[in-house]
Amino acid sequence: MTVAPELSPAITVEQVTAVHGSGRQARTTLSPTSLSVSRGESVAVIGRSGAGKSTLADVVLGLRLPASGSVTVCQEHWCSATRRPAKRLRSLVQGIPQDPVAAFVPRWTIRRSIERAIRSLSRSAPDGLGEHPAGRDQAREHARDAEARISRAAELAHLEPSLLDKRVTEVSGGQAQRAAIARALAVSPTVLVADEPTSALDPRTSAEVSAALLSIVEDEGIALLLVTHDPEFAARCTRTVEITAPAGDPLTPAAPATASAA
Amino acid sequence: MLRNSSLLGAASRIVSAVALLLIAGALPWLSLRDPAASVLRARYAELEPTPEALAAVRAELGLEGGPLPTALRWWGGLLRGDLGESWISRAPIGPGVWNALGVSATLTVCAIVVALVIAAALVTPAALRILRDKPQRGSGPVGVALTSLPEFLLASALLVVVAVQLQWLPPYGWTGFKTVILPALSLGVPAGGLLGRLLTDAVGGVAEERWVNVWRLAGARPAVILGGALRRAAAAVIDQLGLVFIGLLGGAVAVEQVFAIPGLGRYLLGAANSQDLPALQAGVMLMAVAAALVGILTGVARRFLRGGPLPPGALPPPPEARGDGRAARWTAGLALGGLLLILVTGLPRDPYAIVHPRLSAPSMALPFGADASGRDLLARVAHGTIGTLTPSFAIVALAIVIGLLLAVLGEVARGPAEIANATPPILAGVIIAALMGPSVGGAALAVLWVTWPPLTTHAAALIDEARAMPHIRWLPLAGVSRFEIWVRHILPATVPPLLRHGMLRLPGVALALAALGFLGLGAQPPLPEWGLLLSEGIDYVERGPWTTVAPATALILTSVFAVAMAGLRRRRKASGARSGRPRAAEAAEDAALPV
Repeated sequence: MTVAPELSPAITVEQVTAVHGSGRQARTTLSPTSLSVSRGESVAVIGRSGAGKSTLADVVLGLRLPASGSVTVCQEHWCSATRRPAKRLRSLVQGIPQDPVAAFVPRWTIRRSIERAIRSLSRSAPDGLGEHPAGRDQAREHARDAEARISRAAELAHLEPSLLDKRVTEVSGGQAQRAAIARALAVSPTVLVADEPTSALDPRTSAEVSAALLSIVEDEGIALLLVTHDPEFAARCTRTVEITAPAGDPLTPAAPATASAA
Repeated sequence: MLRNSSLLGAASRIVSAVALLLIAGALPWLSLRDPAASVLRARYAELEPTPEALAAVRAELGLEGGPLPTALRWWGGLLRGDLGESWISRAPIGPGVWNALGVSATLTVCAIVVALVIAAALVTPAALRILRDKPQRGSGPVGVALTSLPEFLLASALLVVVAVQLQWLPPYGWTGFKTVILPALSLGVPAGGLLGRLLTDAVGGVAEERWVNVWRLAGARPAVILGGALRRAAAAVIDQLGLVFIGLLGGAVAVEQVFAIPGLGRYLLGAANSQDLPALQAGVMLMAVAAALVGILTGVARRFLRGGPLPPGALPPPPEARGDGRAARWTAGLALGGLLLILVTGLPRDPYAIVHPRLSAPSMALPFGADASGRDLLARVAHGTIGTLTPSFAIVALAIVIGLLLAVLGEVARGPAEIANATPPILAGVIIAALMGPSVGGAALAVLWVTWPPLTTHAAALIDEARAMPHIRWLPLAGVSRFEIWVRHILPATVPPLLRHGMLRLPGVALALAALGFLGLGAQPPLPEWGLLLSEGIDYVERGPWTTVAPATALILTSVFAVAMAGLRRRRKASGARSGRPRAAEAAEDAALPV
C-alpha cells in the first residue's frame, strides 16, 4: 500500500462529549474534546485517570455513542449522538484493546477471529472489493485473498504464523498483543485506535510492541490515535493531546480554569 | 440504554398497578365461563337459558357495559364500604368475609408464634457457638427436614397421624384452642424451618465478617458481639421474612381446607368452586391488603435494623453457607431412585381399571393397595408422576423462554414481575380456576405466573454479564451485526445457566401443581395426579390409610429431592466462585431460589 498524500485528516473529532448512565445517575465522563489525525501521523492522548481517555477511544471506535459532537472518518460521517457507525465504513476504523483477549472470541482460534473480520468487512468494503462472490472460482479467490491478508498482517505485526492456529488464551501477553495488532491490520484500516496497548506488558516486550506499532503506522500510512500513560511512548508520537476530567468530577482536585486541552 | 432507565421501571410499576386494580374490579366480567348462565342455573333451576333470561341476569349482576364500567362500579362500591352481594345466596358479602378474616388472622398469628419459636430454636446453636467464639457455617439437617414438607402435605400427615390414628386432637372444626394447634403447626413449622435456616446461615456468615474480630480486639463481651451479629443477620433476612409471611396466606388455603376451618382461604376456595365472583373479589382484596401490610411492616423493620435506606449494593450479602455435599448427593440420589422405582414398577399397570376389591390393603400383588373405587394405587401414583411432571417441564421451559424475552426488554417487565413475585401460587390458582374453571392448564398457568419472575431476574443478570464481556463488547469491530452478537454470542452464554436453574426449580413446580390438584383446582378425576390422589385418599383415611400413604410417599420423595438439590447447588456454586465465575448472576440465582 502506498501512502497517498492527503490534505484532509483521516479522522476528525469535533466537540465530542460522553455521558455514563441515565436519569439522575447520569455522569459526564468526557468533557468536550476536539482533535484530528492525518494518515501516517500518530497522536498520543494523555491525561489523568478518569479524564475520559478510554471513553474517547470507545467513542472513536464506535463502541459507544457520544452524548454530543461528531466524528468524521475520511470525510464521511462516522458517528454522533443519534447515528451509529455505518457498516460499510467499519473496516476503516479498527482498534487494539488494552487487554488483547478482548479482540478475540475465546473459543475460536486467532486465525478464525481474523478470518471472521475479513469476511464480514471486505464484503462491504468501500473500494468495491467485495460484492458477495458469485461463483466457486471467486469464492476460492476470496479465500486465497483472506489467506494472503492474514499472512501479511501477521508479518507486519511480527507474529509467528504458527501461533495463528492457537487460541488467544494459549499464547503469552506479548504474543496476544501482536495478534491483536495483526487482527486490526488484516482489514486494512485507515484509522487505528490503541487503548494503552502496552500497559499489561513487561518493559522489553512493551518497547518491542510500541516500536512495531509506530513503524507500521508510518509505513502503511495509518492514522494512529494512542491512549497511553507511558511518557516515553507518548514522546515518540507525532503529537500529544492532553484531556482533563469533566468539571465536578470528584477525582480531580480543584484545577485552575486555564488548564484545558493542549 | 433504554433497558436500564429508572423512568421506565417506575412507569412499568405504575401501569401494572393500575392494570391490577382494573382487573381486580372487572373479575366478574373476565370470567370465561359465562357467569350469567351458571347463576341462572343456581337461582332459577326451572328457567330456560334463553338469551332474554341471560340478559336479565347479566343486568341484575351488574355486568352490563363491559369490563371498565364493571370495574369502576365495583371500586365505587368498595370506597363506600360496600363489598357487593353474593351471586349464589344474594346476601351481602361484608359480614361473611369479615368473619372469615378474623378466623384467618387468629390462625396466622398462632402460626407466626410457632414459626418464631422454631426459628429461635434452630438459630440457638449457631448463636451459642458465637458466644464460645467458635462460629460454624451451615444450618444442619433439622432445618432442612422441617422445610422439606409443603403445608398441604404436612397438614394431611398431622391429620392422619395425630387426629385420626392417635386421636389426641380433634380432626377438624374451629371450636376452641384444641382445634388451633394442628393447623398452626402445619403452617408454622415449614415457615419456621425456612426462617431458622435463613437466620442460621446469616448468623454463621456474619460471625466471619471482619468487624467481629475488630470488636473482639476492642474487648467487647461475647454477649455484645452476639447482639450485633443477630441484628446484622436479621437485617440480611428481613426481606425474605416478609415473603415467608405472605407465603403463609397462600399456605392457609390448603391448611384451612384440610382442617375444615372457616377462614379466608376456605372462603376463597368456596367462592372459586361455586363461581361466586363477588365473594372471590372481596377475599382477594383482603388478602392483597394483608400482603401490603406485611410489606409495609417489613419496610419499617428493615429501616429500624439497618438505620435507613441504603443504596443497592451498599450492604454486602452475607457469605454463602457450605452445604454438606456428600449427604446432599446421597439424599438426592436415594429420593430419585425411589421415584424411578415407583415409575418402573407402576407404569406398565393400568391406572383406570376398576378390577380390585375396594380399599384392598397392600399386598404382594398390590404393593400400594387399591383406592376407594378399586383401582391400583401403584399404577395411579406412577402415572401421576407423568401427569405431574409433564406440565412441570412445560412450565419451566415456558418460564425460561418468557424470562429471556422479558430480560431482553429489561425494565418494562419490572412491575408485573414484582406483583407476580409476591403472589402465592395457590392464590393465583384460585383466581384462575374461578375464571376458567378448574383444569390442568389453569393450574399450570397459575404456577407459571409465579415461576417466570426469578428466571427473568436471572436471565437479565446473565445478559448484562455477557454484554460486559470484553470480547463481546469488541465484536462490532469485526463487523459482526448486532443480531448476530445476540444470537451467536450473548444467548449461548446465557441459556445453559438458565436451563440449570430451571431444572433446579422443577421439583418445586411439581409440588405447587400437586398443591393445586389437592385443592381441586387442577387435574380433575379420574386423572391420576399426585395432589388429587392425596385429596381422594384423605376421605378414606380411617378405613384405608394406605390411600394417603401412596401419593404422600411420592410427594415426600420429590420434596426431599428438591431440598437436597438446593444443597448440591450451593456446593457447585462455591466451586464456581473459586474458578472466577461472575458474582452478579449468582446473586440473582440465589435470590431467586425459594429454599
